[in-house]
Amino acid sequence: MIRAAFPGGVTLLQAAALLPPVAVAVFARGAGATAVLAVALLTALIWDLVFARARAAPVAWHSVTTGLILAVAVPPDVTLWQVALAASFGVVLGEQVFGGRGFGFLSPAVAALAFLAFSFPGTGLAGAEPAVAAAAVPGLVLLFAAGLVFWRLLAGFALGLCLATLLASGALPAPSLAVSLCFGAVFLLADPVAAAATQAGRWIHGLIAGGLVVLLADMGPVNALVFAALLASLAAPLVDHLVIRALARRRDGRRRHV
Amino acid sequence: MATFLDRLTRPLIDENPVTLQILGICSALAVTTTLATALTMAAALTVVLCLSGLFISLIRRHIPHSVRLIVQITIIASLVIVIDGLLRAYAFEMSRRLSVFVGLIVTNCLVLGRAESFAMKNPVLPTLADAFGNGLGYSLVLIVVGTLRELLGAGTLLGRPVVATVAEGGWFEPLALMQRAPAAFFILGLLVWAIRALRRSQAEAPDYRLEAAEEER
Repeated sequence: MIRAAFPGGVTLLQAAALLPPVAVAVFARGAGATAVLAVALLTALIWDLVFARARAAPVAWHSVTTGLILAVAVPPDVTLWQVALAASFGVVLGEQVFGGRGFGFLSPAVAALAFLAFSFPGTGLAGAEPAVAAAAVPGLVLLFAAGLVFWRLLAGFALGLCLATLLASGALPAPSLAVSLCFGAVFLLADPVAAAATQAGRWIHGLIAGGLVVLLADMGPVNALVFAALLASLAAPLVDHLVIRALARRRDGRRRHV
Repeated sequence: MATFLDRLTRPLIDENPVTLQILGICSALAVTTTLATALTMAAALTVVLCLSGLFISLIRRHIPHSVRLIVQITIIASLVIVIDGLLRAYAFEMSRRLSVFVGLIVTNCLVLGRAESFAMKNPVLPTLADAFGNGLGYSLVLIVVGTLRELLGAGTLLGRPVVATVAEGGWFEPLALMQRAPAAFFILGLLVWAIRALRRSQAEAPDYRLEAAEEER
């Protein structure tokens, strides 16, 4: 187990995990993706600095990960001011209004991508290429070793995906669909900030997200995953609440019988 | 005179019914997709607020305490029916765009709140000043939200093009999100944030705090 023992360690680990997919995306898509990467990173960092200044706190640099995720998931043909606007929305309203990383209940990257897809209809989000999916695997291993990805959530997601596809079409999901969801599942859905906090809650969170992806699949794989992750993370606090209440009831019941 | 002006101006920002007391949010979200609907709704609510304040304040000594809410709602509902009828008669298209929301002024917490907390206890003139001030405060928020949503969501103001959109050969890509309800929440939230950042006294104490040991780490 790797442990992030110093401040900023989590950010460093997540950014390191993101580097291979970002490199693959920029290399494969060319100049457009480089511009998106620069704008997304710059906007996210500016907001980090502004809020650190306003709160008289040390700069956290957490939004670097948001910028990197956007660089992979935003298609290279999106106008740059739209990228800046979406990144601002994600970092400010998805993260900083709550007080910074770890205080909110949403992944800022998911908020930014949902904003982009909602505001400019027809934006097909990127990041579904097999090369990007392959590059996400070392990141997954690193995050898993560091305890920054919950296996119950991802297992629940896979299970939900299989069950919902079975119900809908009577067959298991096509491998191509699973590959196209790989990057998003690791970096958008499994953000520990947005995930449920209880063990059983993580299974349910994953199941909800998996089912929603199948329901929304007509939008395109990454768009579907973004909205599924958004809705599932909104449900996560409620799921946690119900799980804790069920556990407490079971414990009280047991005590009464003794 | 000073208190009269005070009653009129305090609800604009310092005691704004929407941003401080968070009343009347439902209609503030629903009718602000364009500036024209926001203006009509603001005018309708201000008229209802002033007239209901006037009538309730006039008969406040004759209203039995136990049925006061019923009397207040009856007066407010009658006024709303009149306003709704007037809109249908003279501005039918606008009335259709506002749909049920003029009728829902009856259930607007702001109107009943001012009737119960102010008009029941004060003479006519202060009540009118208070009602008009609160109506203006509500209108101010609706106009700000409506302007932003129409400008960013369609590139127009009151139906007239202001910035050239991509569809017309310009550069501005309208934000479709702005025409949807969440955008009103975001704008309203940002507005509340801005006001409370400038007027520290309006900020509420946080519900939860980190423990000191955790904060140091």
